[in-house]
Amino acid sequence: MWLLWATVGGVGGLASSRSGGEDRAADAAVLQRMAAGDPGALAELYDRHARGVYSLALRVLQDVHEADDVVQEVFSQAWRQATRYDAARAAVGAWLLNLTRSRAIDRLRARRARPEAPVDTEVIAAVAGPGMAADERVISNERGRLVRQALDGLPLLQRVAVELAFYEGLTHVEIAKQLEQPLGTVKTRIRLGLLRLRDALGEIG
Amino acid sequence: MMAPTHLHDPRFDEHAGLYVLGALTRAEREAFEAHLGACEPCSAEMRRLAPVAGALAHSVPQIDPPAALRGRVLVAVAPFQGARPHARGVSVRANAWSWLPVAASLALAVAASAYAWRLNDRLTMRIAVLDQGLADAVARAAAGEQRLVEVRNTMVAAQSAVTILSASDVLRVDLAGQPAAPAASARAYVSGSRGILFTAVSLPALPAGRVYQLWVVTNAPVSVGLLAPDGAGSVNQIFAAPPAAARPVAVAVTDEPAGGVPAPTGRFQVMGTVTGV
Repeated sequence: MWLLWATVGGVGGLASSRSGGEDRAADAAVLQRMAAGDPGALAELYDRHARGVYSLALRVLQDVHEADDVVQEVFSQAWRQATRYDAARAAVGAWLLNLTRSRAIDRLRARRARPEAPVDTEVIAAVAGPGMAADERVISNERGRLVRQALDGLPLLQRVAVELAFYEGLTHVEIAKQLEQPLGTVKTRIRLGLLRLRDALGEIG
Repeated sequence: MMAPTHLHDPRFDEHAGLYVLGALTRAEREAFEAHLGACEPCSAEMRRLAPVAGALAHSVPQIDPPAALRGRVLVAVAPFQGARPHARGVSVRANAWSWLPVAASLALAVAASAYAWRLNDRLTMRIAVLDQGLADAVARAAAGEQRLVEVRNTMVAAQSAVTILSASDVLRVDLAGQPAAPAASARAYVSGSRGILFTAVSLPALPAGRVYQLWVVTNAPVSVGLLAPDGAGSVNQIFAAPPAAARPVAVAVTDEPAGGVPAPTGRFQVMGTVTGV
């Protein structure tokens, strides 16, 4: 996936807030201090990004213990690779979330290769109510909220196809099989879904 | 190195979106990466879509990691300090306090260090700071119990649709409109382990005092829950799976008195049978 960040370097896919420029500069400075071996910088990086990393890991894995492990792996890797980080290629936040998603999806795939874990019926019972409103409360990031909203506004199968790819790590072939749709249809749906999400992002620049 | 007028290859149409989502197979990904550097249309598409992947990573419900995780991560990563060629012993020592697994309030930390300074005892100071960190962690753990339940519910609510669709035991059932609702149609994804995702369109408006009720049929119909269609008669709801959902024969919707009933009494509105079971 490094190629991706090299290709889009400067676009700053994940630099999200309006004060993104300042955040980016501060992040880059922290990475430089880490590269120089300053453990205080690691703590600072953790404080700035652990929430995002943890949230994404938890979203993908749905397991608090595994999410903890991924957070540890990601910050370990960031510490080891700080000397190689290139600010021109990607924002630090983007880099960390990209590491997070890769590691979480790897775990998900390993888990799928094993027999299925027992299901927690208590948790499933909790869904019976009208639950979707609950997550609005905990999404703080404005851009994240807009994307979530745009995602909710997509036709069901476009949305599900995008989510199966990004959060569940399925390939388009696996998605087509899962949804019992032709491959071409799935590819088209994913592209349409992404373009609509892109438009939603465009509204806030 | 590459031909200057490299033509766009239609084989790679739609690859950019799949690439940014990580949804290409390994072979496709490698082929696309080789192609990308030489193809401006594909690169442009990548630049256009890549921020969406970033935004998706940001759009998940934001949840604070457990307080204890910070210390665990910082301590676990610490052994690498010794291996780092740039790290000098002096600067590591000077900064050592900043990464201790401590979430003490500022006032208490200051009090603790003032006390320790008087004793001129580094060890006492270390213990005082760690004690405060421990007390704080215990307090947060207690407060966190309730929060964990909330968080899990939130996560499940946000994801259940995808979880159901990706369940290994999911069955898709297409439901056709019955004489009472000839224009209606519906689809249900039924997973005995993960729940039921039900979606329908063009359900007719019901008279006051009547509601739509969803059933899973095995030997007998078992109620799944009540539907709440919008003004246009569309509905898209997720339900917990009753035990019967593990081996359904059919899925159906009837109209029933408000509040629902234990066994169907009204007319069938949409119905579909499970094939190939």
